Amino acid sequence: MQVADKNRNRRDILVLALVCGVCQLALAPNIGIGNGRANLALVFTACVAFNVGGRTGVLAGFLAGLFFDLSTTGPIGLMAGCCAAAAYAMGQAGRGRMAGELGASVVEFSVAALVVSLVYHAAMLMVGQSSSLLDAVAPRALPTALLTIVSFLPFAWFYSRSTGGGPSLSMGGRRRGGGSHLSTRGL
Amino acid sequence: MPLGGNRAPAVGLGNNNQGTGGRELVACLVISVVLFTVGVRTGEGGPLGVVRGAFQTITTPVRLVGSAVSMPFQGLGNVFSNLTADQATLSELEAENGELRSRNAELEEAEQTATRLQGLLDLRSTYDLQSTAAHIISGSSDSWSSTVTIDKGTASGLSVGMPVASSSGVIGQIVACGATSSTVLLVTDESSSVSAMVQSSRAQGMLNGSAAGEVRLDMIRTDQTVEVGGIVVTSGIGGVFPKGLPLGKVTSVEKNPGSMYYTIVVEPYAHTETAEEVLVITSLTDAQVATSEDVAAADAQETSSGASDAPAADANDPTGASGSGQGASAAAPAAPTAAATGGQGGRHAGR
Repeated sequence: MQVADKNRNRRDILVLALVCGVCQLALAPNIGIGNGRANLALVFTACVAFNVGGRTGVLAGFLAGLFFDLSTTGPIGLMAGCCAAAAYAMGQAGRGRMAGELGASVVEFSVAALVVSLVYHAAMLMVGQSSSLLDAVAPRALPTALLTIVSFLPFAWFYSRSTGGGPSLSMGGRRRGGGSHLSTRGL
Repeated sequence: MPLGGNRAPAVGLGNNNQGTGGRELVACLVISVVLFTVGVRTGEGGPLGVVRGAFQTITTPVRLVGSAVSMPFQGLGNVFSNLTADQATLSELEAENGELRSRNAELEEAEQTATRLQGLLDLRSTYDLQSTAAHIISGSSDSWSSTVTIDKGTASGLSVGMPVASSSGVIGQIVACGATSSTVLLVTDESSSVSAMVQSSRAQGMLNGSAAGEVRLDMIRTDQTVEVGGIVVTSGIGGVFPKGLPLGKVTSVEKNPGSMYYTIVVEPYAHTETAEEVLVITSLTDAQVATSEDVAAADAQETSSGASDAPAADANDPTGASGSGQGASAAAPAAPTAAATGGQGGRHAGR
């Protein structure tokens, strides 16, 4: 038996969006390696994509990317497209995968973060915001990917604790030791 | 048991989230491309730029909070950079730092010199002074007189009696002149006496130094108006100092019972401790010398006090009949240099 608590799901996504948004605006600009800055929009995208996926993940990714674009000086729409595509890719393999799978979700996110970062900075190179490929990749794309992965770790750890009825947004998707999908706690 | 093992479909919103989001992805990508294209074409002046500006404005408080919170940790990056810097880099930076400090000191010195010289130029142009610039090279060599030595003398056209001013105002008068240096008697010296007046009320008197270093404005009658903070300037009577040069500011005015004159203490504007460059005023124009009306006004000021005030009348007597040091300084419009020399040199001789 499955019970959906849509209102709570939406509330949880909003809380997550708020946390990531504040972190993106307040913390990300002040923590950097080289020219790299953490991309909390991608973290939010990944959390929603891993736990919800589907059209919600894609739309959440698009909006998160748009938020990122507006908060930076880069072209508007670039990160929005990247995050939407990343959300689609991360949401394909199944839902609720962060619950109890810290390692797997981190690895999958790392690949996505690296690809998104490289694509984003390559596009920035093409629109003339960067002088060379080396300049776009070495001091920008790679540190950005690294910081994004690091900033994803607390979220991954948080949602991995959802096994056996942990925090919400895990959707109770995979409960160790079986059990029904009856859940009104998560998404 | 959930179906699908580790990749089990989720419950909750996921159940209502039909489809893989392919259509939404296409729509989002199309919108992204449109936004990207519009944004690149219109730049910051376009509609997207306006939206971004509004967004930045709205989110500024959050950014400020984040900046304030992270402020204590801003130096961490530098710490790591410094820890990983090699010895050669550190040595190079230290050498560069020392060089920059030295250069900074030089520039600050040059800036201060330029400021002082600019002050002198301003004074010169304001009062249309015929003057020669000189450097103060030493202070008084004894404890009895308040003098400074400047690096110009007769070889530069200077002579005894010429007034000397800094950018702040009058500092004194040349009392001894060598070929390449001159001694300037400061207005604070006990034997110094300069005819002066209160700028606001035009009350005329004599600015005298004292052994204690205090400067007094004497011969101002108690029926005249003198206020603390009033500006004292040269009166031009005597023809030694140009009329209107700033001398100092009144710091106290006392009216003693039974006395016809105030006891007025003046704080000189010019301090030789801070002055390095001075102007020696080599000659006066007709406009800088007190007019006959000024002299008559000074006379009237004294004669109105009554015939019993003989010393006061002498002090401001343009004929110089009294022969005193003060009178000599103020009473020889036709021969200012000689008058000053006679007045102040005589006092020196008397020591």
